[in-house]
Amino acid sequence: MSEIEFEIDGKLVFANQGDSIISIADREGIDVPRFCYHKKLSVAANCRMCLVDVEGVPKAQPACSTPVANGMKIHTRNDKAKSAQKAVMEFLLINHPLDCPICDQGGECELQDVAMEYGTDVSKFNLGKRIVADKGIGALIQTDMTRCIHCTRCVRFGAEVAGIVEMGGTGRGEGVKIEPFLTEGIQSELSGNMIDVCPVGALTSKPFRYEARTWQMNAVETIARHDLVGSNIYTQTYRGRVKRVVARDNELVNETWISDRDRFSYEGLNHESRALHPKIKKNNKWQETSWEIALDFAISGLKKNAQNADQLGVLASKNSTLEEYYLMQKLARGFGSENIDYRLDKANLSIGNTMLSNITLAEMESTDHALIVNSYLRLEQPMINHRIRKATLNGASVNTINNKKFDFNYQTDLEILSSPQKTLLMLQSILKSLHERTKTTVPKYLSKITVDDSQNKIADDLIAAERPVIILGEHVNSNISSSDIASIISEIAALANAKIANLSLNGNSLSAEKVGFKPSNNGKNAISMFTENTKAFLLMDVDFNYDFIDPKLAADTFNNDDVFVISLNSFEDEITLMNSDVILPLAGFYESSGTHINFDGVAQSFSASVKGPGDSKPGWKIIKVLADILELKGFEYTDSTQVADDALSMSSANNNDLVENNIKETDDSKVAVHWQYSPYAIDGITRKAKALQETPIGKMNDAFISLATAKELKLSEGDLYHGVPVSINETVAEGCVFVHTYQSRKG
Amino acid sequence: MIKKVKKLVKDFGLGELRTGLKVTGKEFLNKNITVQFPEERTPISPRFRGLHALRRYPNGEERCIACKLCEAVCPANAITIDSEMREDGTRRTTQYDIDLFKCIFCGFCEEACPVDAIVETHIFDYAFESREGSIIDKKGLLAIGDENEKEISKARLEDSKYK
Repeated sequence: MSEIEFEIDGKLVFANQGDSIISIADREGIDVPRFCYHKKLSVAANCRMCLVDVEGVPKAQPACSTPVANGMKIHTRNDKAKSAQKAVMEFLLINHPLDCPICDQGGECELQDVAMEYGTDVSKFNLGKRIVADKGIGALIQTDMTRCIHCTRCVRFGAEVAGIVEMGGTGRGEGVKIEPFLTEGIQSELSGNMIDVCPVGALTSKPFRYEARTWQMNAVETIARHDLVGSNIYTQTYRGRVKRVVARDNELVNETWISDRDRFSYEGLNHESRALHPKIKKNNKWQETSWEIALDFAISGLKKNAQNADQLGVLASKNSTLEEYYLMQKLARGFGSENIDYRLDKANLSIGNTMLSNITLAEMESTDHALIVNSYLRLEQPMINHRIRKATLNGASVNTINNKKFDFNYQTDLEILSSPQKTLLMLQSILKSLHERTKTTVPKYLSKITVDDSQNKIADDLIAAERPVIILGEHVNSNISSSDIASIISEIAALANAKIANLSLNGNSLSAEKVGFKPSNNGKNAISMFTENTKAFLLMDVDFNYDFIDPKLAADTFNNDDVFVISLNSFEDEITLMNSDVILPLAGFYESSGTHINFDGVAQSFSASVKGPGDSKPGWKIIKVLADILELKGFEYTDSTQVADDALSMSSANNNDLVENNIKETDDSKVAVHWQYSPYAIDGITRKAKALQETPIGKMNDAFISLATAKELKLSEGDLYHGVPVSINETVAEGCVFVHTYQSRKG
Repeated sequence: MIKKVKKLVKDFGLGELRTGLKVTGKEFLNKNITVQFPEERTPISPRFRGLHALRRYPNGEERCIACKLCEAVCPANAITIDSEMREDGTRRTTQYDIDLFKCIFCGFCEEACPVDAIVETHIFDYAFESREGSIIDKKGLLAIGDENEKEISKARLEDSKYK
């Protein structure tokens, strides 16, 4: 990489061998018009807009595909360059419709901007314009392909980033069309980025269609907290409502992309079931009331029911903010209760479950081997999967151990099927194989374990790799032996010198871990609260249908007449009204300031983009006032940043202590059920986002069972398994029902 | 001395009065130019910028496509628009309000409109009976347009050759 020296618009600049002219021009702040060039995509050089004059070369050269050379003299603004650019502009405008006034891209359109500078006011072309029929590509992206200028950014995005080739150019010459190959719509979980890369209004956001003009909206920098990544986004607001979400560049977190979940979930904020006013239940009848009355009612009910401090249970969803977690646990502990938990969806709540990751998002990209355990990574953590995909493009190999074979958007070497009850055994075999291969003493508890070829292969791959990573996914959460699985993975990682990425702590779980939002000193956890005498509950953003691992057990407790439930909730659907005694309307995502701690351990704070609708208030304020009424000390906050400062200065509890290893007798005879929510049903706001639910991913509703297991359960194709249609499928592990659905967990 | 005598003669000879009455006498015989408003009206330019109206196409379809360029260009922020996708998939306004107290009648909205939907008519004599009456909504604007379409289109036609 030798430095080379050349001149651009009379300015002497330095670059590396192989850099393109346009990348250097961008670096130097010299504006070169372009449509097809995108810094994260391959160079196509098909729009010809970036033609520049290179001295000594007879014709103007495309800046995106011309590498710089020593002594080159480039002019981006002289007559030759300008006339070339103007000519290209004229050709591009021949077929582009003049419908900017009704185009959603109007105001942020690259073609519009460049046409202002390089276009002429009158066209010489007076023949008919091309019209392209729209095929439609699903519920998220609106197509107007007549506006397409064939830059192929969306096609390259699909092939290079999303990894699913769904769009392509068909036809020749005048008849070229960019269209989807299939009619069901785009399948990718990153498809929304096509809207961002499209330089014209051919691909625009469907839920946003005709909602507002681009220049009317305020862009607020914020963080998406649906997953561990904490993608950097802008919420664009208009008249106090979030109208659109677009990606914000952060090379260390989400690069330039965001997942569809982050992009389209905002729709849930405007759902009709939003809780707008405080409500209390008196004599089994709901009545709307003022904040003062509702808060007093809540506190008096709490004091009455939880006369013993130990009878108060405090639960929060995994998507709350750091501030909310901190104040909730402070309130509970100030009150004298240790019954605090956010791990509502975990089957095993022992401490060893919270193994920490020791790799960063950016480092994932340079790994050369990944072992994915219990994760449909592509849908679960789209941005992390994208890093792994980049690694595979650079030659990394991937092995998986899952309940079912999944569609990854890269090549996997070995896909091992293992039912939940056998996963621990499988990992122990791999550990044993590793011990044998590294010639270390095999611990006693592994002596009875047998090892087969595929396990040996996994061990070999881990040892052979230089920078391996073991990824533990969300599916482990419903596994009763998850803490043992975590500890075995730690041992495997130590032996194989591998990094660990623990993705089972989803959402904003790392914030909850940071402030110790879980029981210590014999407090009751999210399961034992329901089995042991808990009389009052304080719930933060909890969905009674979806969030609990055993919804029936929870519902039985909440429905009990002598249990008092205070619900801080953004939505008041039927089940919330049935189970709560007070509903305090909570400002949702983007309506409250807060902090998210992401996979890298970076605390990203954000301010509120809009005010909550109706009387709803940010969670941290509600809890602060509740604590004030309870006359607890240490809640003198006036701003959420003070709360965040206090929360971040807490020394985090030691999360890494592991439990004793021993082989548990797992019951192999029973069929294990793994109930996995579709990625668009993981939290309240995404479940209420209409467009997301209409996508193929949102509509997932299958109970996958292998033929042998189906016979055992006397089920056949199309039968309903707890309300989910059965699909007989040989890519599922024996002895396991893998339910992938948007429906809430039953049975 | 002579000046003083001249002034005395003029003052006592009612000179000023005679000069004034000369004008009156001359105009007394000329044609009357007072316009009896509102029974009579002076002619106005086709470019006159009066009360606003929203126009329709001859088939009855409203012209406005909710591009909001008028809202953007309005220097007094007098226009408020909300848009939606109508059932037939076209872009339409759900709200189109003009606050006539804010409006400065500059005519930029008409200039900016790509479909000649919002226009400023020849109407200048209007009154409000309540404080809120200054805000005309979409229904009102369309009604003004419907009522005066003949005059509006005539004025546009007359002015078209100068555009």
